[in-house]
Amino acid sequence: MKFDKEQLQMVLALFVVAVIAATLLGLTDIVTRGPIAAAEKEALRSALAQVLPKHANDAQGDMFVIGKEKRAVSVYPGKDKAGKINGFAWEVTAPDGYAGSIRILVGLYPDGNIHAIRVTAHKETPGLGDGIVNDSGWLAAFAGQNLESRNWKVKKDGGDFDQFTGATITPRAVVKAVKGALAFFATNRELMFAPVAEENPGEEKP
Amino acid sequence: MTKSEVFYDGFWHNNAIFAQLLGMCPLLGVTTSAGNGFWMGAATVLVLLGSNLVVSLVRGVIPKNVRIPAYITIIAAFVTIVGMAMNAWMHEMYLVLGLFIPLIVVNCAILGRAEAFASKNSVSDSLVDALAVGSGFTFALVLLGGVRELFGQGEFFGVSVFGDSYPDMLMFILPPGAFIALGFILAGVNLINRKMKARASRQAAAPAQMEVVEVQS
Repeated sequence: MKFDKEQLQMVLALFVVAVIAATLLGLTDIVTRGPIAAAEKEALRSALAQVLPKHANDAQGDMFVIGKEKRAVSVYPGKDKAGKINGFAWEVTAPDGYAGSIRILVGLYPDGNIHAIRVTAHKETPGLGDGIVNDSGWLAAFAGQNLESRNWKVKKDGGDFDQFTGATITPRAVVKAVKGALAFFATNRELMFAPVAEENPGEEKP
Repeated sequence: MTKSEVFYDGFWHNNAIFAQLLGMCPLLGVTTSAGNGFWMGAATVLVLLGSNLVVSLVRGVIPKNVRIPAYITIIAAFVTIVGMAMNAWMHEMYLVLGLFIPLIVVNCAILGRAEAFASKNSVSDSLVDALAVGSGFTFALVLLGGVRELFGQGEFFGVSVFGDSYPDMLMFILPPGAFIALGFILAGVNLINRKMKARASRQAAAPAQMEVVEVQS
């Protein structure tokens, strides 16, 4: 096969452009990898500070995993100064939001009552469904509740939680996901406390 | 063209939004508030500066037949770099703009500047052009975002304007509001352009008369 000069020029030009672009991207990745990880950690830290009861430990550092592979759940425990566990937080996903999945960080007291919930990622309609982020009154309705204390449905479906004007699907998905989180806690209660019991308080983790 | 002509042309006369109606996807998608519009515009300015700079540097080197894939590669590289930098140092804004940052790649206003301007002009002219088109684009985004935020939520750049009792006009936050607001803004821009044109032709037709008017005022 023979290439004429023009074709070779074209191949060479694209090759050089691609190499330079790849190099630039590689360098940028090296520079930004640390700050991106730090920013993500900081975002999670501030979200955990909102959903966990007041805690003295590094909840991210004490994270443990329940379940395996695809069903694995990362649980962030909160501990008081004595190292005694005083709360759990983990993220649940509501797959049935109005516009894709909604990710919710749920924070529980050890007795299974909710301390607070926060939505960490969603694509719901601004002004309608995004009340799950902005409507503090609606979010406060979850505090102190547990699996038995409420009928975990929106009012339209005969439950105890308000829907929003013009948006029922979004709160319905969130309520369902939080109920799922509470059920998860009920079935995995022993596992939740087990990994913590194995450790001596104050001991550095490897 | 002088530098100021290049700037005027890119910022106003051939404004990517007002005159060419290019880049509608980020325009309508992210302009629910003035702040979102501003940062989306800032990201676009950075990409434009990078792509115009490189494209004007390699003009004449890239064979004509493969210039479009070469330009797209250059633009995509800069978009990815800007996206990574925003993720690292402006994490919250990155989460808000999210999907629209990678979509800058397909903003035809940017490829348009590479093809129509940077590939034919000097490096310095291309940088001025990038600044002009970019800031014109940002201006349009902030204007539309500001209008939508003001009527939709009674706020401007997150600061309450109309007070808490303002009944939020949800429609302006939703997609139809973007089209309606854009329509009114375009009407306003056309009005201004017509006035400017009328004044220019008056000035050209009767310069003596204009002088009299100026003396009187």
